[in-house]
Amino acid sequence: MLTCDDYLTPGSLDEAFDMMASHRGCHRIVAGATDTLPWARDGRAGDVHIPALIDVAKIPDLREISVGDRRVRLGAATPLQRFLDNSHLAHALPAMPRCAVWFADDQIRAQATIGGNIVNASPAADVTPCLIAHEAEVELARNSGGEVVRRRMKLDQFVTGPNRTALADDELLVAIECDALPRYGGGFEKVGHRRSLVISLVCLATLLKLDDQGRRIEDVRLAIAGIGPKPVRLEDVETFLCGKQLSAEYLLEAADMPTSLVASRTRQEYRREVVRGFMLRGLINAARRAGADPEVLASELEAAYA
Amino acid sequence: MARKRGRGMAACWYGIARTAVIDRAAAWVELDDGGSAKVVTGVTEIGEGILTVLAQIAAHEMGVRPEHVVIGDNDTARAPEASHAGASRQTYMIGNAVALASREARKRLVDVMAIVWDVEAETIRTSAGEIWAENTNHHITMGEAVHTAKSRGVVPVGSASFGTDTTGLDPVDGSGRPWQAYVFGAQVAEVEVDTVTGEVQVLGIWAAHDVGRAVNPQGVEGQIEGGIVQALGQGLMEDYKLENGRTSTSGFAKYILPTALDVPRVNSIIIEDPDPIGPLGVKGVGEPAMVPTIPAIMNAIYDAVGVRITALPATPEKVLMAIREKDQLEAHMAAQAAE
Amino acid sequence: MPDLQFKATINGRKISRAAKPHQRLLDFVRDDLNLTGNKEGCGAGECGTCSVFVNGVLMKSCLLPIAKAHNTTIETVEALAKTGELSVLQQAFHKAGASQCGYCIPGMVMAATAALRANPFADREEIKERLGGNICRCTGYQKIFDAVELARDVQNGSLPATVLFEDEVAQGDFIGKNVRRIDTPGKVSGRLKYAGDMTMPGMLHVQVLRSPHPHARIASIDISAAEAMEGVEGVITCADVPGEDGFGVFVNDQPIMARGKVRYVGEAVAAVAAESPLIVKRALAAIKVIYEPLPAVFDPDEALCPGAPILHDYAPDNITKHIPIRVGDVDKGFAESDLVMEETYTTQAIEHAYLEPEAGLAYVDQDGVVTIVSPDQNVTHHRHMLARIIAKPISKVRFIMSPVGGGFGGKEDMIYQGMLALLAMKTQRAVRLVFTREESIISTAKRHPSRTVLRMGLKRDGHIHALQMKMICDGGAYGLSTEGVMRKAAILAAGPYVIPNVRIDTFGIYTNNTPSGAFRSFGALQTAFATESHLDMCAERLGLDPFRIRRINAMRDGAVTHTKARLGSVSLMRSLDALEKASGWESGAPTSRGDRRRDLNRNDIRPPCTLGARFVEAEKPEAAE
Repeated sequence: MLTCDDYLTPGSLDEAFDMMASHRGCHRIVAGATDTLPWARDGRAGDVHIPALIDVAKIPDLREISVGDRRVRLGAATPLQRFLDNSHLAHALPAMPRCAVWFADDQIRAQATIGGNIVNASPAADVTPCLIAHEAEVELARNSGGEVVRRRMKLDQFVTGPNRTALADDELLVAIECDALPRYGGGFEKVGHRRSLVISLVCLATLLKLDDQGRRIEDVRLAIAGIGPKPVRLEDVETFLCGKQLSAEYLLEAADMPTSLVASRTRQEYRREVVRGFMLRGLINAARRAGADPEVLASELEAAYA
Repeated sequence: MARKRGRGMAACWYGIARTAVIDRAAAWVELDDGGSAKVVTGVTEIGEGILTVLAQIAAHEMGVRPEHVVIGDNDTARAPEASHAGASRQTYMIGNAVALASREARKRLVDVMAIVWDVEAETIRTSAGEIWAENTNHHITMGEAVHTAKSRGVVPVGSASFGTDTTGLDPVDGSGRPWQAYVFGAQVAEVEVDTVTGEVQVLGIWAAHDVGRAVNPQGVEGQIEGGIVQALGQGLMEDYKLENGRTSTSGFAKYILPTALDVPRVNSIIIEDPDPIGPLGVKGVGEPAMVPTIPAIMNAIYDAVGVRITALPATPEKVLMAIREKDQLEAHMAAQAAE
Repeated sequence: MPDLQFKATINGRKISRAAKPHQRLLDFVRDDLNLTGNKEGCGAGECGTCSVFVNGVLMKSCLLPIAKAHNTTIETVEALAKTGELSVLQQAFHKAGASQCGYCIPGMVMAATAALRANPFADREEIKERLGGNICRCTGYQKIFDAVELARDVQNGSLPATVLFEDEVAQGDFIGKNVRRIDTPGKVSGRLKYAGDMTMPGMLHVQVLRSPHPHARIASIDISAAEAMEGVEGVITCADVPGEDGFGVFVNDQPIMARGKVRYVGEAVAAVAAESPLIVKRALAAIKVIYEPLPAVFDPDEALCPGAPILHDYAPDNITKHIPIRVGDVDKGFAESDLVMEETYTTQAIEHAYLEPEAGLAYVDQDGVVTIVSPDQNVTHHRHMLARIIAKPISKVRFIMSPVGGGFGGKEDMIYQGMLALLAMKTQRAVRLVFTREESIISTAKRHPSRTVLRMGLKRDGHIHALQMKMICDGGAYGLSTEGVMRKAAILAAGPYVIPNVRIDTFGIYTNNTPSGAFRSFGALQTAFATESHLDMCAERLGLDPFRIRRINAMRDGAVTHTKARLGSVSLMRSLDALEKASGWESGAPTSRGDRRRDLNRNDIRPPCTLGARFVEAEKPEAAE
């Protein structure tokens, strides 16, 4: 059970920083609260008393969503459901809707935020690898001498390990910015133990852009989670595939590349098997959605993995 | 093909009511004012639909409408013993007791009306709130008839006890008569196995179950559908894990239950082989519904991908690793054969 | 802690009240406004029974700190049938038979309402996705989907509203008819109260202190600090039991609270009744128990070894029950068989997971009758046992069954009603205990995990000539229904087949694990997994179709069972025939022929779930000019 003395709802960044300062060392930041309440229960943290809970979900800076031609800016308090009910967002970030539809359920998506998911940094987090594939950057803010000071870093560097990020004690995650990729095909592969409310064992986000004939890979982004302490951008595989013709031979070679990265604490062999299959499935799905020339992908490959 | 389909089947049998021990249940019934009825018995509704079944039986036997049957609470100080919810016993034990008690209450009323109308009791019919004597103009409502009976000093009540004729088991060879009613059944499962992840989806189950006599077919289907999904959970995803006596699965985040997206389409086939002993012919279905499901699914997995799961649950990891092992073994044997 | 001033419009009513900052919307709605339709099935956002609309968006109120709902418009399930008339969706649930125990149903009705509000033309796959956050343990979901589709069609005009009415029944012949369930209206509207929804004037709150050790001697329990706390009205331990302690379904080996030693993690050790849940928590933390851990055993095979820790003095070999079945001579039978196959099958411990966690109230009435109100599957037996335990005549003990939100055998054991009775007697006030989900999972019965070694000998023509089965089950720390489970499993293990030589032994073993107890199908599920898997393995070797091998061995009318009982009519062949026909089964030996068979993929199965049935479709990238 979670108890507190104060539940504070700041209406601005300044107000939030004031509250954080006056409750230094005895507060916890809450966005959607969908992770915090289940955490304070028997079998996990048990009964927890936090003197001040600071709910940042209503701060305007954390709620804005803007979709530009090249960049998308998402407030940290953007609920997961936006990727399913905002068609502009879905169009600009092709892998995110597929990630969102696998995330928990409708009720939780309405409340859970991308910021909360990122800062929680669960090794099983799905949202983080998907945003990483969209070249996400986090914007962090803190109060320095009465002024709001911001800094940015890449999301895959922001997450430093299981349940650990580079967020300083006096900092807030304000927004995530990533590439708008409307011409890309997106895919998101995930496996757990059932088909809803699924905690993932392995998940892979794929984004692919093909040339106008749908035969050559102009750009590819891949990010994977569940194989180690933090999500990983598969840069070596991207470098290998970029510029190549879309072909079964190259895809098969690419699929074998990340398996050596699997360093999870448990179920290593299973994850290795799944990673290889997901690479093929994810790339094929993304290629199809990117407008691949149907004759290019060998039908046996598609049949074997799609 | 990444996704492979297969089918499997399994059969089952089950005993109805308490095992190797004499079972018993009692009921009190009253034909009440205004064409309604009261049924009081130690009935334990846990979602199986027994309250509705009893209302139907009472209505059918006495000639009132089920929506006018009021069933008393299960209260040890207010209701006669009908024992517990379990052993798929309530339709059998309590249904039969209520039927017998209803017949007694009806008889009390009919005997009075036979005198009032000066007809043979056998010619009196009751149905859905009406009562009449054949080949006469006598035709009134049950409410009016009960009023008539009461004005003559008769309250139409009835009671009954229904027991089973069973024995214990011999301690050496187990011989004995543990039940007096048995049911039989079988199921077919159709699955799809994803050979990339090892996930098994159960797409369809056909389930044929003998229930003796279906009082409420929709309720029987509900029991079959629910039982199958519970079994599926054990077969594919649920696992209460203990290590040194401590569990790591103390909540629903870690203890994985089937959701709306995990369940098959269930096609129920109701078989009726009436019980010759009880007055109604009913038997039961609550538990038998989940007995053949897991082996049907495991046999279907074998049909699809050639792996036999002998340790539950058949998680994606278990299935995928078994497929890989089989593939490696086959490759090894093929290589050997080629030499 | 200072209160929050909470303002909202709830079910059309403007509310302005003080709330505690840590309250969740669920607590406020249930405790402060008595709107108990929405439930706390798990408290962790996993089950959906708490789903409510906040500004028109469906959310899980167990995850909503109350401040998040400030100045919002909220609809609970009570809003749907506010005038007393059920909504179209609720009527559809009634017509389709979609409600069983009813506990998940208010939340499910809310999710279904949200689904049809979002898409009044949602197809079945989209409906399933939108219900993905709501767990049902009773129905298997099928009739819930049927209900939502029915409501959708009535609401969008494809079907007339008359389809929701009760079917006409001719001639008062109500048997064999789909009469709508009489308890559904109370369940879909959320008006039916379960024990955790009930309150009584002056009621005290109860919580239980549970053992953190799997096996330990209790050296001492000091309740003095807890008793002295303001707001605490009663603290009990085994010392408060006035009569003969010990209850159980078959053997009375379980004390109301641990006596002398604890035998599993989660066993009740003490209980407190106090004015508020927070005070109870503090009091529990103030009870000092000194444990001396004992060697523990967690594996049934180890428990059987000489020298293993002994759980109960009366059972020094740790065997709760052994049931043997013997027919003919199996050794001779195997020698005479053409094919002998042996395999080991294991099954795991399973949690009942009824959506309603255990809860109960107790009070002593004006006539001195100790009264327990709880979702109890066996009030008859419990009254017997409790009367002896609290040393009262049976006429002074009363068990009232409250509506049960799912049982499946898990609410058959009297594991908390004794404590409630003792606290009601000690405080002379009404008391209520509501389990958390975690408490329910760690402390109550599980399905027996099993390890079964099965050997079958068959003749070439498919007849089973000999069957030998040894099943070892982990019975956990107390007997519960282990004896009955071993017995039923043994009787049914060989399947509905005529087999001349049978040797079956089922063993229930004591260990320091969570107790195993009654669970729907009582051991038959475990043995059928073995026997029916095995039959297919043998059928493959003999080249026989699975239906065929079962027909060859099937019992028929007048068959004699393995307990030497003669049956009357046997419907197995009829069931097999009907099943084969209805499923369109294509005959063939089970040689893993899935890629060759042609009876797959008919229209009476569901499509595989791929997720994304209701995508906002991103436009495809335009082709180049």
